[in-house]
Amino acid sequence: MKRLFRTCLLASAMAVGLGLSTAAGAAEGPSNDDLLNDAKSTGDVLTYGMGLQAQRFSPLDKLTPETIKGLVPVWSFSFGGEKQRGQEAQPIIHDGTIYVTGSYSRLYAVDAKTGHKKWQYDHRLPEGIMPCCDVVNRGAAIYKDKVYFATLDARLVALNKDTGKVVWSKKIADYQAGFSATAAPLIVDGKIITGNSGGEFGVVGMVEARDAETGELVWTRPTVEGNMGTLNGKDSTMTGKLNASWPGDLYKTGGGATWLGGTYDPETKTLFFGTGNPAPWNSHLRPGDNLYTSSTLAIDPANGEIKWHYQTTPHDGWDFDGVNEFVSFDLKKDGQVIKAGAKADRNGFFYVLDRTNGKLLNASPFVTKITWAKEIDLKTGRPVYNDDNRPGAPEAAEKGKSVFAAPAFLGAKNWMPMAYSPATELFYVPANEWGMDIWNEPITYKKGAAYLGAGFTIKPLYNDYIGALRAIDPKTGKIVWEYKNPAPLWGGVLTTAGNLVFTGTPEGALKAFDAKTGKEVWHFNTGSGVVGSPVTWEQDGEQYVAVVSGWGGAVPLWGGDVAKLVKDINQGGSLWVFKLPKA
Amino acid sequence: MTALSRRQLLSFSAAALAAGAIPRRAGARPLDDVTAAGRLRVAVYRDNPPFSFHRDGKLVGVDVDLARTIAERLGVGVEYMELTAGETVADDLRNAVWKGHYLGGGVADIMMHVPYEKEFGLRNPEAVLFAPYQREHFALARNPMRMTQPMLAALPDEPVGVEIDSIPDFFLLGAFGGRLRDRVMHYMTIPLAVAALEKGEVAAVVATQSQVEAALGERVKDFPVTPVTFPGMMASSWDIGLAVKDNSRDLAYAVGDIVAAMLEDGTVAGVFGKYGVTHNTVVME
Repeated sequence: MKRLFRTCLLASAMAVGLGLSTAAGAAEGPSNDDLLNDAKSTGDVLTYGMGLQAQRFSPLDKLTPETIKGLVPVWSFSFGGEKQRGQEAQPIIHDGTIYVTGSYSRLYAVDAKTGHKKWQYDHRLPEGIMPCCDVVNRGAAIYKDKVYFATLDARLVALNKDTGKVVWSKKIADYQAGFSATAAPLIVDGKIITGNSGGEFGVVGMVEARDAETGELVWTRPTVEGNMGTLNGKDSTMTGKLNASWPGDLYKTGGGATWLGGTYDPETKTLFFGTGNPAPWNSHLRPGDNLYTSSTLAIDPANGEIKWHYQTTPHDGWDFDGVNEFVSFDLKKDGQVIKAGAKADRNGFFYVLDRTNGKLLNASPFVTKITWAKEIDLKTGRPVYNDDNRPGAPEAAEKGKSVFAAPAFLGAKNWMPMAYSPATELFYVPANEWGMDIWNEPITYKKGAAYLGAGFTIKPLYNDYIGALRAIDPKTGKIVWEYKNPAPLWGGVLTTAGNLVFTGTPEGALKAFDAKTGKEVWHFNTGSGVVGSPVTWEQDGEQYVAVVSGWGGAVPLWGGDVAKLVKDINQGGSLWVFKLPKA
Repeated sequence: MTALSRRQLLSFSAAALAAGAIPRRAGARPLDDVTAAGRLRVAVYRDNPPFSFHRDGKLVGVDVDLARTIAERLGVGVEYMELTAGETVADDLRNAVWKGHYLGGGVADIMMHVPYEKEFGLRNPEAVLFAPYQREHFALARNPMRMTQPMLAALPDEPVGVEIDSIPDFFLLGAFGGRLRDRVMHYMTIPLAVAALEKGEVAAVVATQSQVEAALGERVKDFPVTPVTFPGMMASSWDIGLAVKDNSRDLAYAVGDIVAAMLEDGTVAGVFGKYGVTHNTVVME
């Protein structure tokens, strides 16, 4: 109450002084408390994940499987230009304005009621950027008077939320060395926290915290053991132990990029960041677990120290990034409430961990075929490998033995975030059923020089579907229901207290399902593939839903046979807003 | 042998080999387009010394100079398109000559520094590979005080430098049951590995010969460079040529003739020499 009052005073003072007619709270913007409360507040969407824990659950319940037939489009906003591909963003909604990022490092502020554009920021991209997996961006962050987003040339840009003018722009990595940035930033206690992405080689994963006001670096935490972290400009502690799980100097370039960003749990005051696969690709050259690649790291936001780690794919040899989001939730089991967290990994297993210590509680497959491991041993927390299925060392002059591995390297689940409903106590996981042939290419070249590459082709496992939205009970690991989609699912999931689950399809639909039964109850064709993450909020007593539309991402670039399946989907770039009008 | 069949031998592409006949001209006539535009757009790798790199703000290098001469002899100006290397050259061919990168920027008329090899050509039917102008080798550069024999088997118990993510890197990490693994030192570029050799951080460097020679410059006399082969592994040497899109054969023929002349009259060897690199003649099978 006190804070609100102060805000009103400040806002009106500004309005008088500048002759602006800003609404209460507009000038100051959301506070840290507002961000912490985002999962509960229904009039806004202030964080990527609809709450820092990233449950993507809204307490709104006007829309239900019964009322949703009244959900209608209100307006659509085109991102404009010729840049029509790869819209993977989640919109942010604050004080009647939608902040949404477009592909090619663009950010728009749009009036939530009318769809009128307030401002647009087009980041000037230099020549020579080489993002690995399309020109996507996954969303903005908002804090106080600024909105933030990361760019394809690996910068972090802070803009005035009302004018779109640049307040600061910091280089977070060198795009010329192959770095890029696509994840939505995370803001905790006044620090803006980001991962890094890009470069298949020569990279070490990094989590970095900056002062959100100034952009100045506070701490850095490398994800590969043997590398030194920093705090306030000085060396802090080494990650792990030098050469404990890496031979020679490979830890200096060991991979483990944190390209998908992270989540935060206010209860345990812990950041969770997933890490990418190790380098070099050929696992036979780097014996050891290769910590902390293909892992989830629990990090103290105050100083960047690692509290615990859990490695989903020790000694990865299949390109199973461990970057997927770790979603905190209360696991109600046997009359107890356990502070847990869950992660649907690229490697096909759904992991439930104790989020206070990283101890494995359960791990179960969430796709139908997993060839690389028989199971995850619940006692040791480690996979029981199928050794025959590890791709061989590329040494022979002839074409190597072809191995069929599932999931494919694009993962049983890729970047697209799942949702958790405290109402149904189910996770909703966007999965894909595919495998890959991997072999050692006899003749490859890189930058004009002879090279040893692996060849791979992604193959669907079934004729009638690749994508599968699955409701998973975290208590048992059982799949409660599933929706099968012909094309691979590549968009995020949203769930609501109104017993609904929303997600998009490459075929162009935004779809809604009954959260308990999986029955499809609504769909709308947006005109291009939906590979973004939908959100919902309340405005003037009506429930709204928004999602971006625009096909793209890694599937058409990397999808082998699958890319052929989706080649006729047209690209696009627009924001769709729907509402359930008052009766 | 007629001129045309020689040209055919110089071009690897699935279509030409499958048809076994004179390739038919498509509707597009890129040589005419280049002549009409008055300039040849040439793709060269970004940051790839001594072939294409920036020195004092100017784009220079073996490939840059060769391309300029090619354009001169075609009677047109030259324009360079700097290309960020992708994961493999197949990506680079797509980005540079036959499709363009999805970020935009268009394509070039020809691309320099493309491996010239039959199997590789068959796997990339969208491009025509032609006019090889250099035979490349992997080579060992050593400090003769610390490593007396120019043989991989004689590598001493001392650090050895490699370019990260290269065949020498993979070979040394895996060779002899991983015996060398702990002392393979990784560098982002070959010039950085060579600098480490000069500073004494490593006793030897294993990398592409031309790049090692160019990085050593005058000091090549202190650090002998010897071509090496990797037992049990694939290519230790390969050829470098040019590429065009598969509808640009007439341009490839014209440029191929120019390159053949430049090889004969010593122009190519002269350009390599200018950058301190041995020019190795390509042996046509």
